Amino acid sequence: MSKLLSRYAIMFAGLIALQLLVLNNINLGGYINPYIYILFIMLLPFEIPGWILLIFGFLTGLTIDAFSGTLGLHSSATLFIAFIRPTILSNISTHDSVDRKGSPSMMINDIGWFIKYTLIVVLIHHFILFYLETFTFVHFFSTLFRVILSTIITSVFILLSQLFFYNK
Amino acid sequence: MDSLLRFLEKYYFLILFIILEGFSIWLLAGHNYYQKASFGNLSRSIISIVDNQKQNIEQYFRLRQTNIELAIENVALRNELAQLKNKLEANKRSLTDSIGGVKFTYSSARIINNSINKQNNYITLNVGSSEGIQREMGVITKDGVVGVVASVSSNYSTVISLLNTNWKLSAKHKRSGVFGSLYWDGLNYREVILSEIPQHVNLVEGDTIVTSGYSSIFPPDIPLGTIEEFEFKGGNFYTVKVKLLSDFKRLDYVFVIKSHQAIERNLLENQEK
Repeated sequence: MSKLLSRYAIMFAGLIALQLLVLNNINLGGYINPYIYILFIMLLPFEIPGWILLIFGFLTGLTIDAFSGTLGLHSSATLFIAFIRPTILSNISTHDSVDRKGSPSMMINDIGWFIKYTLIVVLIHHFILFYLETFTFVHFFSTLFRVILSTIITSVFILLSQLFFYNK
Repeated sequence: MDSLLRFLEKYYFLILFIILEGFSIWLLAGHNYYQKASFGNLSRSIISIVDNQKQNIEQYFRLRQTNIELAIENVALRNELAQLKNKLEANKRSLTDSIGGVKFTYSSARIINNSINKQNNYITLNVGSSEGIQREMGVITKDGVVGVVASVSSNYSTVISLLNTNWKLSAKHKRSGVFGSLYWDGLNYREVILSEIPQHVNLVEGDTIVTSGYSSIFPPDIPLGTIEEFEFKGGNFYTVKVKLLSDFKRLDYVFVIKSHQAIERNLLENQEK
């Protein structure tokens, strides 16, 4: 149990540091920005109680907000994916290849399933994040374009990080 | 009973979600941007040590470019100095300026945190009230306006970047002298929009846009950018797309402008109202 806790604590610190120090400074093509920190919420164990999941979602977002001066922005979006995660997990796990215990990571489960999971979660998160940031539907299509491009980039980063860390 | 418990479990999940989400939205909407900037300033002071280190490392990679830019600027300044010296010599006897005093003085500062990828970008400088920085001072580089100081702590200050959709700047078309307001539309960090240019003005692509000097924050005629394209969008005004001279992604050293006559001027102008 404590081993599990320390693993998640290290992952949390690592992802936040990576996001704030490296990825927030990467701007592909001017305004595409990968937000890989939501991987923390994605990889929390299946068995986690709902309220802990929500509080973790909120705190993760708030940490990013506090250090990038966007109070409430990331916390809203990350909280929402924490809220919707159980629904997504129960809806996309149709066949038996998915283990319903432990972390919903790529190595434990099927790769195709993980890609689907990543794309859905990242798309929802980015959609909320970018529209909350602009706070208007005036530039609807240009924002949508940013959402889609950033979703692809973030998903690629998440899949790469999974390959990198779990291929042992 | 079992289904009731399950229902309650789901119910609490939803309630907790709504409370936390409501709190987030309140944080997001309930703070005006000055407060946000000062909060950002607080949290940035905490990680400013890391930021300083990071900036130190990044500077090494830019040394070559910085050197070239400094050399070019040095030459330009030297030439100007020589010219002015000549003029001064020539006018020495007739020169008696009774108004005296300088209107603006500049001090140098370094950027330790910068972003271009948000809708409302802020910049952090490594100077604060202990160096005499105050709110509403202008910040420029040799290539144009960077922003205006929003909040100040003793050693750091936050600047509302020109790349902030909440901020507008008075700018003019250099050739005709017609002024309009310049703002960022949140799309491309190399382009800003100049609006309210009347239809009768003869615009040409490549024309220079400069600051108007109508506010007491910035001196007049600081170059901002060149016209990239312009279109006629109803009303009697052009909407002009301006390509910025400065690359906000590579900002490093900036100048903070202290306006000596701002207080006098604001006092007078507020009297009129």
